[in-house]
Amino acid sequence: MKTVKVMVVLVIVFSIALSLIFDGQVFITPIAEKLVPGIESEDVEKVQQRLKNWGYYDGNVTGKYDLKTYLAVMDFQRVYGLPVNGIASGDTLEKMGLTTFAQSGAAMAAASRVSDEQLLARAINGEARGEIYEGQVAVGAVILNRTRDPKFPKTIAGVIYQPGAFTAVSDGQINVPIDPKSTVVKAARDALNGWDPTNGCLYYWNPATATSKWIWSRKIVKKIGKHYFGI
Amino acid sequence: MSIREKLLDFKRRLADRKMYSIVVVVIAAVAMWGIYQYKHAANLRQELDNQYNRAFYDMTGYVNNVEVLLIKALISSTPSKTAATLQEAWRQANLAQTNLGQLPVSQPVLANTSKFLTQVGDLAYSINNQSMDGKKLTEEQYKLIEKLHGYSVSLEQSLNDLQNQLTAGRIKWKDLANKGTKLFQKASKQMPNEQFENIDKTFQDYPTLIYDGPFSDHLTSVEPKGLTGDNISSEKAKESIIKFFGKDKVEAVTDIGKDDSSTIKTYSFNVTFKNAPKGQEAKVDVTQKGGHILWMLHNRPVNEEKINMDQAKEFGKKFLEEHGYENMVDTYYLKEDNTAVINYAYSQNNVVVYPDLIKVKVALDNGEVVGFESKGYLSSHFERDIPAPKISLEEARALITSRMEILSTGLAIIPTDYKTELFTYEFKGKLNDRDFLVYINAETGKEEKILMIIDTPNGILTM
Repeated sequence: MKTVKVMVVLVIVFSIALSLIFDGQVFITPIAEKLVPGIESEDVEKVQQRLKNWGYYDGNVTGKYDLKTYLAVMDFQRVYGLPVNGIASGDTLEKMGLTTFAQSGAAMAAASRVSDEQLLARAINGEARGEIYEGQVAVGAVILNRTRDPKFPKTIAGVIYQPGAFTAVSDGQINVPIDPKSTVVKAARDALNGWDPTNGCLYYWNPATATSKWIWSRKIVKKIGKHYFGI
Repeated sequence: MSIREKLLDFKRRLADRKMYSIVVVVIAAVAMWGIYQYKHAANLRQELDNQYNRAFYDMTGYVNNVEVLLIKALISSTPSKTAATLQEAWRQANLAQTNLGQLPVSQPVLANTSKFLTQVGDLAYSINNQSMDGKKLTEEQYKLIEKLHGYSVSLEQSLNDLQNQLTAGRIKWKDLANKGTKLFQKASKQMPNEQFENIDKTFQDYPTLIYDGPFSDHLTSVEPKGLTGDNISSEKAKESIIKFFGKDKVEAVTDIGKDDSSTIKTYSFNVTFKNAPKGQEAKVDVTQKGGHILWMLHNRPVNEEKINMDQAKEFGKKFLEEHGYENMVDTYYLKEDNTAVINYAYSQNNVVVYPDLIKVKVALDNGEVVGFESKGYLSSHFERDIPAPKISLEEARALITSRMEILSTGLAIIPTDYKTELFTYEFKGKLNDRDFLVYINAETGKEEKILMIIDTPNGILTM
């Protein structure tokens, strides 16, 4: 009977572990591997801003890793018990809270911020990555047109995550990593820059797969690629 | 060993008590795993339910507040009190609308409710601005608020009714939310959606609202001012496309349909180019009236950056001049993927007319124009009768905070959120190492708008 008990425990442990593995892993990584004196970048700007807010640094936020920044980083390292060398290494950046989420194995590790552009690109990726370029811009444009319509939420995130609004959000397709060769990011940029191939449409649907009867009551304005666009 | 023998062997082994127990253990383990998964799923569903409930109760609360604030705005007699009340109504209506967008009710069901909340907020904000200038409510506005208050009372009642049903457990969000499977689709057609449809019926006879705000009803149908010329045939439109790209470049122009439903009606074309690989085509919409190019997108990869921004701006300007758009000045630009999107505004007698906007996308490898967008220009361009400013430059400058170091000045016509125009002085200046644009009304001296300039390696933007 002892073996039975051991097995029961093993199976339970195994099943719990299994479900945890399926949930996927998320790591937190610093925004840069390391920042050294002499370089100039947006990341340095972020370091300076934080150090300035906390009173370690009294210069201007320039983005240049100069002597003042170097000394401020040293002060910070001294207070937080890090090796004092004036170089903003990964550990130091992490202590400053300058981190980014990176999903294991995903090609999106480089994405440091989930901005409107990224979110829109992901939505287009989920909804229309197989479409012609103009069709991708059009999907982005519809999302942006909705933010300007009184009948819809006012923000890009609000529109995209409105329950049931997009199948790619409901079934998790929106989280599919963007293929670096894909044009969806470019399409998102064009849409944000004001190109609207739909001339103001608020809805689109694929006539082959649309399940909602209601959607056919919309007035069709255009057909782009596989999608109908309507108001 | 044959299969039969194998089976017999297996049976014999099972007959051994130890093996029976292992089978029992495996079944028990699978069952436990199942129970764990079920509980996990149930917890998640409960969490989701709680979120939906939170959104619904919050929304009901905000709508109640809007109702009270609207009636208070009618009673208050001083403009400053009216302004404060309407400002709060604007905030509460926005919050209500945000929460509405989080409910698992399909968008068309509550479309009118959403529109109502947006417009109440928008209108309250617009009147709030007017009241802050010390103006009292006009008779028309009073009637409008009164009407909207009436609608908010009915909405409040239906929401409170629904809230009671929710509290009593008669409505379950999961019936609405789980639309993924066929099984649940049936359930979702039942009661709850109907309940929400009843709410939306409150707004069946909802009037068309016209006021000074970005969501006002009259804005969707504003007659485009820059759309000059006669109606043309699709054949004629083809010609204007060939002229647009240049005869030597275009291989073929294919008609791919037309749009008769938008304010600016168009013909759509697909353009292929000589010596270009398949797939690198351009899509163009040409207006049916006048044959203007509304927008063009040429999707070709641009792999290197050979020309700088100054040259790109020149290429863009030259392109515009060659196509009949005179007096366009570049304003902001954005550089991405080795292309630059440059915004050109019309300039009339040295007054920059920002509403008359054309966006030109220049490929930075050879200066070719790979994108074009002229909706702003076509919607608002006309030769304006620009008066002499009523206040002098010095007077306007005196109205700006002395903390800002002024770098340059000029005159500009700027758009409002509700598509009207303001004649202003434009001051560019610095404060705390940041660049700003401040617009002072050239007729009243009112500080109309402040923009922050964001100068990044990728371009100049305003916020």
